[in-house]
Amino acid sequence: MMPTIEFSLKDLEKLLGRKVDIEQLKNEGILFVKGEIESEENGALKVDIKDTNRPDLWSVEGIARELKGHYGIEEGLPIFDVKKSGLIVIVDKKVESVRPKTVCAVVKNLKFDDETIKQMIQLQEKVCQTFGRNRDLAAIGVYDYDKIRGPIRYTTFKPRELKFIPLGFDKEMYLDEILNEHPKGQEYGYLLKGKREYPIFIDKEGNVLSMPPIINSNYTGKVDENTKNVFIEVSGHDITHISVALNVIVTALKERGGEIYSVEVVYGKEKIITPDLSPKKTEMGVENCRKILGIDVSGEEMVKLLKKSRFDAKLNRNKIEVYYPSYRNDIMDERDIIEEVAISFGYNDIEPEEPKFYTTGNEREIEKFSNKIREICIGLGIQEVLNFTLTSKEDLINAGNKVKFVEIENPVSSNWCVFRNSLIPGCLRFLSNNKHVEYPQKIFEIGDVLKIDEKRETKTKDERKLSILLTDRVIGYENISSILDSLMRNLGIGYRLKKRNGSERFIEGRCASIIVNEKTVGEIGEIYPEVLEKFELEMPVVALELDLEKLSH
Amino acid sequence: MYALTEEGKKYLKGLPEIKLVEILKRENEIKKLKNIVENFNIALMWAKKNGWIKVEKSKVTLSKKPSKYELYDALLMVSNGKKPKKEYVDILIKRGLIKEVREDIEKEAKKFVGKEITNLHPSLIKTGLWRKVKFKKYNVEIPGKPVHPGKIQPYQKFILQVRRKLIELGFREMNGPTIETEFWNFDALFQPQNHPARDWTDTYSLKNPKFGDLPDKKIVEAVKKSHEISWKYEWDEEKAKKLMPRAHDTAISPRYLAQGVEIPGKYFSLVRCYRPDVMDDSHLIEFNQLGGFVIGKEMNLRNLLGLLKMFAEEFGEAKEIRFFPDYYPFTEPSVQLSIKHKKLGWIELAGAGIFRRELTEPLGIKVPVIAWGIGIDRLAMFALNIKDIRKLFSQDLEWLRKFKVL
Repeated sequence: MMPTIEFSLKDLEKLLGRKVDIEQLKNEGILFVKGEIESEENGALKVDIKDTNRPDLWSVEGIARELKGHYGIEEGLPIFDVKKSGLIVIVDKKVESVRPKTVCAVVKNLKFDDETIKQMIQLQEKVCQTFGRNRDLAAIGVYDYDKIRGPIRYTTFKPRELKFIPLGFDKEMYLDEILNEHPKGQEYGYLLKGKREYPIFIDKEGNVLSMPPIINSNYTGKVDENTKNVFIEVSGHDITHISVALNVIVTALKERGGEIYSVEVVYGKEKIITPDLSPKKTEMGVENCRKILGIDVSGEEMVKLLKKSRFDAKLNRNKIEVYYPSYRNDIMDERDIIEEVAISFGYNDIEPEEPKFYTTGNEREIEKFSNKIREICIGLGIQEVLNFTLTSKEDLINAGNKVKFVEIENPVSSNWCVFRNSLIPGCLRFLSNNKHVEYPQKIFEIGDVLKIDEKRETKTKDERKLSILLTDRVIGYENISSILDSLMRNLGIGYRLKKRNGSERFIEGRCASIIVNEKTVGEIGEIYPEVLEKFELEMPVVALELDLEKLSH
Repeated sequence: MYALTEEGKKYLKGLPEIKLVEILKRENEIKKLKNIVENFNIALMWAKKNGWIKVEKSKVTLSKKPSKYELYDALLMVSNGKKPKKEYVDILIKRGLIKEVREDIEKEAKKFVGKEITNLHPSLIKTGLWRKVKFKKYNVEIPGKPVHPGKIQPYQKFILQVRRKLIELGFREMNGPTIETEFWNFDALFQPQNHPARDWTDTYSLKNPKFGDLPDKKIVEAVKKSHEISWKYEWDEEKAKKLMPRAHDTAISPRYLAQGVEIPGKYFSLVRCYRPDVMDDSHLIEFNQLGGFVIGKEMNLRNLLGLLKMFAEEFGEAKEIRFFPDYYPFTEPSVQLSIKHKKLGWIELAGAGIFRRELTEPLGIKVPVIAWGIGIDRLAMFALNIKDIRKLFSQDLEWLRKFKVL
């Protein structure tokens, strides 16, 4: 989820145009970009960027741009010149039902080397993965501009209508072959599942650029150290969303000295010029900011702090007008700007102050009651155990269960696919795991079980239960009934035992319902040998289970 | 057969009437004698009966000095396991100085006389015959055989301690259902419906039952509006109805905020949460989370940092702390607390923030809510000194029996 960015300290220093003290970066600098240095080895850094809504920070170029503000190298809103490239991309109506939108740009005069190519690919991947939801909402293609002849068409082809050589391969393949055989086709093919035609970028001379969001062609879609100028397209479903991705990529390349050129994207009669790098505007109340942060900062200081974070800001009486860059999509509310002020001020420079008001704590009744039970069980020499609430259907059924279970749709394993509706199966499993351990074994568990209850909002009900299990070479009903008696006496609860049928869990004639105030609150008995067999137990087991909620009323 | 009573044992050194006679040599005022002689009344009675003394007004005078006192000899005989003459036995029994011992007990005890014994049989104690046996000497330096007390499960114990501490700090405990609707788990927390954290690979969903009910229409409409304005997508009511096991403890907070809480107030929850991970030594499919919020008109980031600092001291015993700017969809500003742990160095302890207005306002809350969550399972691992997180739910009875009490 959280992107981890790898880059070299040297590269960061090159982009900043100055030396960086690694300790300062670790303790202070990296916090300005919501980052945390995961590791640092011989100048190779791994940095977690915590903000999943700030793709502009997922590259060393973006980090450098932000840090320039805080290091006093360059403050305020970054300015990006956009010239016209003259290139036209025509979007065919046919893509509407497949992958309807694209925005494009050209970046010229790049001086790629090993490091910068690696960085560009990393950024591209992180943006597609996290911001683009694994290429679904945004997929980015970068191409050698000098091999392309405009206008470019964004259209669709039938699976067997077109052939091209996909990146990293050496033979022409049909579109369906690419989906089936190319590793990227296998990985992302599901995004085109069920489509009759597949999206294609193709130039004037019939050279295929790519089949988004799967793979580039080997000819135009290969970028290396000799590439000077690139064409970039982002495809997806929503213009606003993919524009952020495009802006992030082109502004990162700008930090490497590239020059940004616009492209005309034609949707039928409508034309849009991309990338649109004009800043956006919002507002923040000075008093609100002070109130939320609890620090004494003047409006003028707030303006300074915001400029360090690469905003333009103007104090206008008790409000601050804020201009923010086009690659930012995370600003929804005044609060987002307030946080920027706090980060720029430095979280660790704010003096912590505990909330001052007094309140009285309060423990839930059921927890108090559970603790009483715990105390008695411990006194009776019984060991508490703690099992998972998720278990296997098999264990529940084997312990004599017939009702419908609360069941997981996407379990990781069949061992953990249903919620327990009784504590006894889990405790039997526990005993089964401890057959080699010294006897007698006496265990208890206090915990919640789940029952289906259609009347409730969540169609389920949590019930707090206690179960006690005893096992030994010789053990019988009287051993567990005496435990129950002790428990009830020490709780001061009157009860009686009422004969019941074994119902596949207990031996017939050796089990009973536990009755309090004419209500059944639990069951007690000797476990049926067939159940013992199914749990691979070799010693007799006696058990009781009580509903603590019913018991505590 | 007879044995000494407790009183009889006391008089082995001399009966009170004899003591009285001896003291009469130097003192005979009744008033004073009462203070000097133990059990004076008994002594006086028996000395008189035996014809040793005369009582005149306030004085006692010796009339005949006893040479041999056979009653005393009888007492000594009993203490040695012998049987005195019946007339003395009757007196001693009447005076409560000896008691009859049943023949079978004596018979039983006699079997041991003169022998070296292992167990100290109760008949030996009752008859006093223990004096005539030898005690076998044990090798007392061998440690005892282990027995197993009942104990609270170690992880449970830790959880109980944490709960107690929070209550002492003035927090009220909240609780919610294990199975939640996506509405409370995500939507009410302003997590957009296309957020990757809502993917089926990151959270469980339910097969049976599948859908729950949504709350009051007013709240649903407000949440829908908040999502659609801020995240710019069409909010789907059906998705919000989907049931799932609670994926984080924060799911409980919006329920409480919506139903009304004390302002100002402090709240916490400590509950099991569920995520589809593959279990290994650092991942569980169900785990406990501790979290909550402090609500109040004046609450701010500075208070949040103060609260976190207090937690660092209370739960992490940390001297050094650091705050990192962080990101959660439901808080702004957001912060992560790292602490310097005694043994492990820097570790992440808590995530926190001020609930976004897009979250609180649809629930009818107009004042700041500072929210926090602490990774309780990791703290438990440190407290229990275990490396494998699965040990928290240990299936090993022997380990539980051996585990030293926290």
